Amino acid sequence: MLEALWHNLDYAASVVLFLIGLYIVIAKNNLIKKFLGLNIMETAVFSFIVALGVVDGGDAPIMGQGAHPPFTSPVPQALILTGIVVAVSTTALALTLIIRIYQLNGTVEADELREME
Amino acid sequence: MSTAFDITLLLLLIATALAVARLKDLLAAAVVFSTYSLVMCLLWLHRGAPDVAMTEAAVGAGVTTVLFLIAIGRTTRREK
Amino acid sequence: MKKALVTSLLIIAAIPMLIAVAALPRHGALDTPVQTGISAHYLEFGVEEAGAENIVTDVILNYRGFDTEFEVTVIFTSLAAVLALLLGASTAGATLSRPGSGVRPSVVVRFVVRLLAPFTAMFAIYVILNGHVSPGGGFQGGAVLGALFITLTVVLGGARVAGAFPEASRRWLQIAAPLTFAVAGVAGVLLTGFYLGYPTEVGLHWLRTFMIIAIEIGIGVGGAAIIATLFIVMEAE
Repeated sequence: MLEALWHNLDYAASVVLFLIGLYIVIAKNNLIKKFLGLNIMETAVFSFIVALGVVDGGDAPIMGQGAHPPFTSPVPQALILTGIVVAVSTTALALTLIIRIYQLNGTVEADELREME
Repeated sequence: MSTAFDITLLLLLIATALAVARLKDLLAAAVVFSTYSLVMCLLWLHRGAPDVAMTEAAVGAGVTTVLFLIAIGRTTRREK
Repeated sequence: MKKALVTSLLIIAAIPMLIAVAALPRHGALDTPVQTGISAHYLEFGVEEAGAENIVTDVILNYRGFDTEFEVTVIFTSLAAVLALLLGASTAGATLSRPGSGVRPSVVVRFVVRLLAPFTAMFAIYVILNGHVSPGGGFQGGAVLGALFITLTVVLGGARVAGAFPEASRRWLQIAAPLTFAVAGVAGVLLTGFYLGYPTEVGLHWLRTFMIIAIEIGIGVGGAAIIATLFIVMEAE
């Protein structure tokens, strides 16, 4: 199994990054730090999906002069472009909510907010 | 040679993600997150996905980091 | 205690995930279903059927056009929500004043930003317009243009950057991306009978390329306006 893991090193690195992001979301107290962890999880998933379409010695999927097969698959890349834009939209809205929480409560630590109710 | 470059990029990704987890100064964590985004962009460029790499560089290392810096500037800078 | 518990749970969760990842087909193999399925059809017929040489632009604007339409709707919705949260807030509820923001950047930064702004704008427009033959496209160029507006806001102040656009045009610029898709959709209905349908005759290749470039410009302008407005509103309110 270690041999197979060595061939799929990109996928294993995405799994490790996803779990690091998940640790930050669960175990850290500050809301902004939790949100950094969520962004790390999102980019780890994007990296996994892009790595699924990669071919050995593959070029970018752009036809023109000097383009020769094999090409990297374009479908996962199109999926991830939409995903990156949605990630930045949710980042903007979540950070706005955190700013409003700070203005109304004076703190952005999760346990203090839970005590406050 | 190409394998060594790959492994260096992946180790750098994991190291920057761990650094974001460990840093208590949120400003430093946001800057290191921008570095993580840049290394991710380099990895995708090396793999033959230039559109995704360009979007990640412009959006992740640019816009997301700026939004985090605004949020940190308007709330607290250190986590307790 | 809590951290040790969470760490050990995540390490236990990592084991089945790594086993699953090791069982996937070898990374970079040529006979996986990703390579031999619909991707092979897009790579072979994409340039002629869809009107752009960058196959990724083909896929996001022609083959999977609905996804892109709702993506630009999502980013516009998040802008609307941010504006509603920050502009509609009553100041009676805000108990803490903003930390001091009266620091101006140094003379070197101000000079270099004002010197480089036209070149950056030209590069952003190049990326938008060239998205169908080279890496790039609508949102990439729009993000660069939005980042240019962000640096100009830091140097010149939000009022001056926002004042460069007349009041009535700001809402139209922000909604440019979903509006362009709606116009293209209606044009598709008139041309082919399907919403967002591109004409498929062989001789109309120029019309497909023209529609792709028009939608790219709409996405670029809309994305730049949304990013710039997000920064100006979040920083000043």
